[in-house]
Amino acid sequence: MNLAAATLAELRTLLDTKKISSSELVDFFRARIEKHNPKLNVYLTVCDPESAAGTGPLAGIPLAIKDNFCTKGIRTTASAKLLDSFISPYDATVISRLKEAGALVQGKTNMDAWAHGSSTETSDYGPTLNPWDTTRVPGGSSGGSAAATAAALAPAAIGSETAGSIRGPASWCGVIGVKPTYGRVSRYGVIAMGSSLDCPGPFSRTIEDSALLLQIIAGKDPFDATSAEEAVPDYTAEMKKKRTFTIGIADEYLEGVQEDVRKNFDQTKKELEKMGHTFKKISLIPPKYSISVYTILQRAEVSSNLSRYDGIRYGEKRTAFTAEAKRRIMLGTYTLSHGYYDAYYKKAQQVRTLLIEDFRRVFRDVDLIMAPSGPVTALKLGEFEKYPFFGEIMDVLYEPGAIAGLPAISIPTGLDSNSLPIGMQFMANYFSEGALLDIGYQYEQETGFHGISKQLIDRYA
Amino acid sequence: MTQKQITRDDILHLAKLANLQLTEAEIKKYMSQLEETIEYVENLSELNTVGVPPTSHATRVENVYFEDGTPNQRGLDFSKENYKVPRIL
Repeated sequence: MNLAAATLAELRTLLDTKKISSSELVDFFRARIEKHNPKLNVYLTVCDPESAAGTGPLAGIPLAIKDNFCTKGIRTTASAKLLDSFISPYDATVISRLKEAGALVQGKTNMDAWAHGSSTETSDYGPTLNPWDTTRVPGGSSGGSAAATAAALAPAAIGSETAGSIRGPASWCGVIGVKPTYGRVSRYGVIAMGSSLDCPGPFSRTIEDSALLLQIIAGKDPFDATSAEEAVPDYTAEMKKKRTFTIGIADEYLEGVQEDVRKNFDQTKKELEKMGHTFKKISLIPPKYSISVYTILQRAEVSSNLSRYDGIRYGEKRTAFTAEAKRRIMLGTYTLSHGYYDAYYKKAQQVRTLLIEDFRRVFRDVDLIMAPSGPVTALKLGEFEKYPFFGEIMDVLYEPGAIAGLPAISIPTGLDSNSLPIGMQFMANYFSEGALLDIGYQYEQETGFHGISKQLIDRYA
Repeated sequence: MTQKQITRDDILHLAKLANLQLTEAEIKKYMSQLEETIEYVENLSELNTVGVPPTSHATRVENVYFEDGTPNQRGLDFSKENYKVPRIL
């Protein structure tokens, strides 16, 4: 068996039957990292985890962690030189829950600096390259975690999404990414970007692995007052429910979508119809308004969150901020300043209410909404700048759901004419992550995701 | 919303508020980029929001309180050696 391609469940069996030890597993992935990381730049820090003697579902299994999760005793930079020497004194709740389940931190993955971006190119430590085509970006901001999962430099990974930072790189790297409902997973100890939007979530190559990881990290956390009280269902049971879904599709989400992606959308729709699901046309507020709402809210929250890097703590002065952070701080400061607050921030919060009501209305008629995970497949390095609005336009299909706080999943559904992965996303009503895992699992059972992830791992021997 | 031109003084004022030191090139760049962004987000004025309440939390959680005596995971341990400094307020 190819250990690199093994799922978390398969690794569990190998460890339990003592066919392999935890330290051998860590060494196996470290060797893969040593071989491929110099080219791909996926990891910023590679750890030397002490294998715990735990008995949890992840006991002895190493995971890749996005570098904006605080990890006790391990350097945590959010890919920003300003935090170059910051060693976290505590674990984020996501990390402490994974550790309680026995998981080990294999290393910390590259991202856009402060998670400001959709390509991993704004990292102060250089871009991560897309393992499918190293002239291209992996997407972002969780580009390192997606690439680590795709190229099997870890069995699975943890990332975070503010608007597209899980779904985007999952799609461009050909893996599964789950963006939970806002508040489903604690933000405690995650370096804050847009506090009313940030959601931690898993990357994996099988739906079962995503269900397992989500199970561990989801739930109320007393250290994050915004985390949700709602009970956490059994996601593995949810995944196997085989519900027949009514799936909404909105023309507004297919405008300006690349031809190959559009073809794949139709193909995926056909596959799902064959499996018994029905599709229904819906109409949603055009995503162009979401770009505005997102830009205003997120920049405002960024300017506030980054004010804590005042030069007194964390070792570096504010002069260490690089271009993207400064641009966002400037805009956020503008929209929050005296005289403009009502015109921008309050207006955006009101439109946010309209977007939420719009989705609630649609979810009375359909169970899920399907749309492409991004309008195009992976862009070349440097190509983002060519798009209007500094590439922000690439996130247009992620922003509405993110602003509304809805859960979503991106799954690999095919390859384009350049052999680059295409992803489709499904959005569901609040706290319906189970339905998303269900549709993903049904698609996986039927198509095996067309063998996409295996194809890549075979190239990274 | 009001159509607004971003001036050099606006940028300098914002940089002061945000405690950022900008180079001459950055001042010029942000003047045009901020204006481009502000111009784009004006599209929100096409949507009627009269009487619409603003949303600050997507799933509408409000008024979250701690129980008295909830342990503070990262609180200082006063049983260990600490520095005592004079009161300043």
